[in-house]
Amino acid sequence: MPEISGYAFPNDVHVHWSLMIVMYPYITGFVAGAFIVTALYHLFGKKEFEPVARLALATSFCFMAIATFPLNLHLGHAERAFNVVVTPHFSSAMAGFGLLYSGYFVILLLEVWFVYRREIIETARRSRGVKRVFYAALALGTYDTSPEALEIDHRAVKLLSAFGLPAACMLHGYVGFIFGGIKANPWWSTPLMPVIFLLSAAVSGIALLVLLYQVTAKLGRRPIERETVQAMARWLWFFLILTVTLELLEIVLLAYENSDAWHIISQLLTTRLEFSFISVQMIGGSLVPFILLAIVVTMNAYLHDRVRNTLASVASLLLLVQVFSMRWNVVIGGQLLSKSFRGLRSGYQPSLFGREGVIVAIALFVLPFVLLWVFDRVLPIEPAAAPSDPRHEPAAEPARRTA
Amino acid sequence: MESARHVFRVLFLLLVVVVIFSVGRTFLVPKSYGAYGPYRFDNVAEQAAIRPPQHGGSASCGACHAERLKAVAAGAHRRVGCEVCHAPLARHVQDGARIAAMPVDRSFTLCARCHRRIEGRPAAFPQIVLAQHQGGVEGTACIDCHAPHSPKL
Repeated sequence: MPEISGYAFPNDVHVHWSLMIVMYPYITGFVAGAFIVTALYHLFGKKEFEPVARLALATSFCFMAIATFPLNLHLGHAERAFNVVVTPHFSSAMAGFGLLYSGYFVILLLEVWFVYRREIIETARRSRGVKRVFYAALALGTYDTSPEALEIDHRAVKLLSAFGLPAACMLHGYVGFIFGGIKANPWWSTPLMPVIFLLSAAVSGIALLVLLYQVTAKLGRRPIERETVQAMARWLWFFLILTVTLELLEIVLLAYENSDAWHIISQLLTTRLEFSFISVQMIGGSLVPFILLAIVVTMNAYLHDRVRNTLASVASLLLLVQVFSMRWNVVIGGQLLSKSFRGLRSGYQPSLFGREGVIVAIALFVLPFVLLWVFDRVLPIEPAAAPSDPRHEPAAEPARRTA
Repeated sequence: MESARHVFRVLFLLLVVVVIFSVGRTFLVPKSYGAYGPYRFDNVAEQAAIRPPQHGGSASCGACHAERLKAVAAGAHRRVGCEVCHAPLARHVQDGARIAAMPVDRSFTLCARCHRRIEGRPAAFPQIVLAQHQGGVEGTACIDCHAPHSPKL
């Protein structure tokens, strides 16, 4: 039987937004987070992000490709999903999704195309038969790789990043807005919600790339650039501090105001969400990575590369769990409050099998990496030797640069 | 300009996509969409047509089970419709003919739906704490002791 505590309405005891609704902001978070990393290189000229810029773009693209899957799985009737794109309107935050999703997807597609154009053309020139037709079609039939054309590509990528960054922020900010705009629920209804979602998206995106970068470098037998790991750890630390500050600010404010909502939210946090909020999100997912990254950032000069990479990886792994638990605590936590605000509904346990079960959720998380592998087959993520690539120049001091 | 030819091709392709989308949209958006709000208004009538009423109300049960209905009407469950505990009428009778035996849920969860102790219920309403009632009854059938049609205990 469902466990109910306090004065809960008896006809309202179930959690309806399931694990899939937890997965949805988690997956879109990677889209925005990974794009922020690309933008740091393309838009803000952070050279140390160059080795991950293309990986980040591809990651953003692959997660974007499946971003709608959790919603489709939750709602059923996947064949109707296209309706949200053809009938956008502004009376519902969810219906604005059509505009934001398609707009951002076009920008992302264009950016991928401009980044890979030279290589698409070179592959088309090299290959024969069907492969040549495929890459020629991808190149839209123009084989111009003159320095002027490449300069135009470069400028286009910069311009698209300039549009893409706000678009990515809006895409994810609006996910937070959907929750922040539900005024009947005090655990959701705060203007901080879009900002918290966005910042934690940056955390999850960078954390994923810290791991992906090191794994792909190991698999491809490439050196792990010291500056890149350092820079990502620094930015990860920065976004982690901002995220946790805002997450705590929201709660501290409620507690300090001692508002009527606090009576039930304090109960929620200390009973139903005790493990997922206090233990996982705040201690294991925030405090521990904060300390680990603080070591990486502040004691940088004294750290052996192996130690730094390991610390950054462990912190990133914990942060991936932190962001997931944050999504869980928001989505599921908000539904555990009875509408009476005097009692709590029964807790939610996802089923293992079934359309919205744990196995499907794991499959959803694995799918973008499969797509990433396919992406890499079609458009190699690691750039082929190019004269401008500093890593292929005779390395000045290989011992200093590489791990 | 020569070196920007690929940019124009992309822009042209985008334009084609926008045109296809705008034209395609007129086919894809259902006719009655937006008649009274951002939804397909025809759907209301369609759903009503494909979903005939499943429940008949207690009076329809009384047509065959008059004695039962009388017993229920005199007891504490007089305000609880037959189909609240039993299945909807359509599972049992269609076009005036009996098509299947009425399913009977004998589990304690059915009774607990209304009678489990929850603070949100009025204090005078009969409620039990499953773990304490008769030394713990979870999993046993309430109707072993209580008559569901006219409960007295």
